[in-house]
Amino acid sequence: MKYVFWGGLALVSAVFLPQLATAEPDIDRMSVEELLPLAQNEGRVTVYSFTSRIARVEKEFEKTYPGVDLIPSDMSSTEQIARLKTEAAAGISNADVVYLSDTPVVLTELLEKGLIQNYVPPRVEDRMPNEFKVPLLAPRLSTKVLMYSKEAYPDGSPIKNLWQLTAKEWKGRVVMVDPLQRGDYLDLMTEFVLRSDEMAKAYQTQFGKPIELDEGVDSVGAQFIVDLFENDVVIVGSSDDVSAAIGRKGQKAPPVGFTTYSDMRDNEREGWALQVANDVEPSNGIIFPAVLAITTKTAHPAAARLAIDFLMGDDSKNGGPSYAPFYVPGDYAARTDIESHPDAVPLKDLVSWRVDPAATAKLRQSIGDLILLLQ
Amino acid sequence: MTIDILRQRGRSLVRRPGFALKLTALGIVSVLVVFPLLKILAFTVSDEAFGTWHEVLFSRLSYNLFWGPLQNTMLLGFAAAAGCVMIGGFLAWLVAMTDIPFRRTIGLMATLPFMIPSFATALAWGSLFRNSRVGGHVGFIEGLGFAVPDWLAWGMTPTLVVLIAHYYSLAFSVIVAALATVNSDLVEAAQLAGARRRRILTGIVLPVVFPAVVAAASLTFASAVSNFAVPALLGLPVRMQTLATRLFGMIGIGQTARGYVLALLLILVSAVFLWLGNQMISGRRSYATVTGKGGRSKRFQLGAAKYPLFAIAFGICIVTTLVPVVILFASSLAPSSSALFSDWNLHYWIGRSDAAIAQGQPGIWHNPNTLSATAITVGLGVAVALTTTAVGLLVAFVLARHREGLISAIINQITLIPLLVPGIAFGAAYIALFGAGFGPFPALYGTFVLLVIAATAYLLPFSVQTGRAVIQQVSGDLDESARLTGAGALRRLAAIIMPLAARGLANGALIVFVKIIRDLSLVVLLFTPAMPLLSVLAYRYASEGFPQFANAITVVVLVISIAATLLANRLQSKSQPWLKD
Repeated sequence: MKYVFWGGLALVSAVFLPQLATAEPDIDRMSVEELLPLAQNEGRVTVYSFTSRIARVEKEFEKTYPGVDLIPSDMSSTEQIARLKTEAAAGISNADVVYLSDTPVVLTELLEKGLIQNYVPPRVEDRMPNEFKVPLLAPRLSTKVLMYSKEAYPDGSPIKNLWQLTAKEWKGRVVMVDPLQRGDYLDLMTEFVLRSDEMAKAYQTQFGKPIELDEGVDSVGAQFIVDLFENDVVIVGSSDDVSAAIGRKGQKAPPVGFTTYSDMRDNEREGWALQVANDVEPSNGIIFPAVLAITTKTAHPAAARLAIDFLMGDDSKNGGPSYAPFYVPGDYAARTDIESHPDAVPLKDLVSWRVDPAATAKLRQSIGDLILLLQ
Repeated sequence: MTIDILRQRGRSLVRRPGFALKLTALGIVSVLVVFPLLKILAFTVSDEAFGTWHEVLFSRLSYNLFWGPLQNTMLLGFAAAAGCVMIGGFLAWLVAMTDIPFRRTIGLMATLPFMIPSFATALAWGSLFRNSRVGGHVGFIEGLGFAVPDWLAWGMTPTLVVLIAHYYSLAFSVIVAALATVNSDLVEAAQLAGARRRRILTGIVLPVVFPAVVAAASLTFASAVSNFAVPALLGLPVRMQTLATRLFGMIGIGQTARGYVLALLLILVSAVFLWLGNQMISGRRSYATVTGKGGRSKRFQLGAAKYPLFAIAFGICIVTTLVPVVILFASSLAPSSSALFSDWNLHYWIGRSDAAIAQGQPGIWHNPNTLSATAITVGLGVAVALTTTAVGLLVAFVLARHREGLISAIINQITLIPLLVPGIAFGAAYIALFGAGFGPFPALYGTFVLLVIAATAYLLPFSVQTGRAVIQQVSGDLDESARLTGAGALRRLAAIIMPLAARGLANGALIVFVKIIRDLSLVVLLFTPAMPLLSVLAYRYASEGFPQFANAITVVVLVISIAATLLANRLQSKSQPWLKD
């Protein structure tokens, strides 16, 4: 009996002592119920967000978790990265949570340099494919793809091949955001270069002859970018402006352009007729993860985790009210249990290129210089 | 032996009156102005930024990085200076020299546009003239069914018009003050001798005010080349870049070295032209125009031209003051800028978050960001008004009472430097210097203190000038007597100069307050989301495609600045000789 007792005690110690030794419970493993009182104690969480939809999340969040003030700061991914670096140099951290795209830069400049850390809410980890948990949590996939007005072109996209955009017919009628101001668009430009082989084939299909590169241009993708700019591509301030320019109803010959597929959600409210061009050679643009992370020096660790858990949606099939701003056609949830929006092209049928962050990161600066040269 | 002499000289140098005070003043202005600029200069030649100067100036990228924006910047600078001097000079002549009706009103209104933030005027332009080139809401005029051509909606023309509408009041203020000093004895003598009006204008008035005209031209030039908000809002959609917007873009995307090089080049451009202007008038400063006699009894009789000229002047004033304010106010209420005066509602002011409107952005009254931004902006205005007054007074006192010596000359030169440094370049330098802490200073990035220090430095020339003006008002005899009774410098400042000059100081402080709360170019880089400011919030809303919120916030800024300006005008009315009959 004695032996059993001592043996049992030894066994119990072996199992539990290591955890007792760490004393502090692991905040990464806490449930929402455990996080909430800590978060309420912290009182607030500042979120830098690349999507203006954060304003709607704020409202829901504060309704669900009274006592935790979510302070959203809507700024582009590019600006978030520049700010986080400056803040880190000054030894401060204004943001607790960052919600951004630009993964090629985020991984090299922020994650590897220790400015942000990954956090996967335990509640949803079994419903997330590994590629969206490591190295950073990616709640959804976003896009920069070619879109058109279905009012002006009821029979489908007027563009069947990207090279049409460089032809005279579309001079001054292709809209996008300055790739130097928005990283997503720089990634799109970089992808053209990375996919030079496909672009060359598409050129052959369109014009019936192999492409000849201008002097000083070293790839087919770069040639496409040069031709696009020479065709007076219109540069605007934000992707909302692109969508408005393309989608606004009542235009006789509306432009086409690269924008966020999910801007389609605003069709009714804004009086737009946006539709995605999915039948395009060789592709219609890029699809890439949006990532969520916690700043390493956050002063509100529990509230930050609570906010990320919230942004992942509740356990219903469409993610519930907290995910509602993102449950729209054109956004693709990473969670396996959230269904694709019925009004959108299913993910497997979307022809968009998947961005490879590492390959993109290598080329980005030189593509940026190319754009600078063309402006 | 030489060492002995040096020692003696050293001792006598130290014993000279006010030496400690001089060193203090030198220390302050060095930290404020010289260190930040040296810091970015050092960074651009460091190993980390190797080759950047070459890249910006002489590589295949340099046309788009520097030379192209430089051309636009110069064009804007020259054209804006010409336009401002013409309009400002015309109004100044009417107000100071003629019998135009409602002179007081015109004189007051002509000073107001400068108090309206330039981004407000630019936003108002957009609400009127936006066309569909860049999509989104079109402006009022397209809403009425007229097509607005690209050149009128975007780029050089609107940028120039808005800059002139903003800065002409600067030219007005400088020229009207000079015209007020034109000795009426001279004019009367000429009239008695039978000179015609045109002859008097070209023979007497113009030569006397020539230095003021040149000063007005170089000031408006320097202001126009460094303006950020107007080209950013009206030029970028058609890829028109100026040095200021290019600099902002480079720093915004993390290419800091290129940004700093551009900042230094922008300073250089602005400095060269201010220096040239100064050279033009430096030989002519000795005009004795104020004699103490000779009132302003005689004014030019405009005769039949009186009312047409009044209509023109009044029109200019209304278009540059009331119209932008009304448009901004209307568009902060109207859901669409194409129908400015219909469907008014208060959502953008007091609405709750509604998923159907503007991505669920609540009205500015319910946005905690706007509320804290208002508090921080006003707080910054007050803090900077106090610090600049203190620093300005101290430096001006040192310069006025201890004029001689190398240190004073250096201090004097340093206080003028910020005139040459565009706000945005200053912002960049301050991030570079205080971003990571140096010497005894901790890292100040993102703090209120950094904003205060940067703004104090930025306004140094202005505050020293105010300080000088008030110190000159106080007779040196009083100061001298106090010194003989053994009062120290600070004691004399506090007990004699401050009380006697309180009115002038308060007026200067109010103007500083207005300059800061409406400023965008200085703070646009220093801004952090944790330390929001109204002007930056407005700019961000505008560039994110939420014009109504931008306009509502701008109206708030306007109301605060105009109230402060009118107050300053009341304080100043005693010292506006051109308004006297």
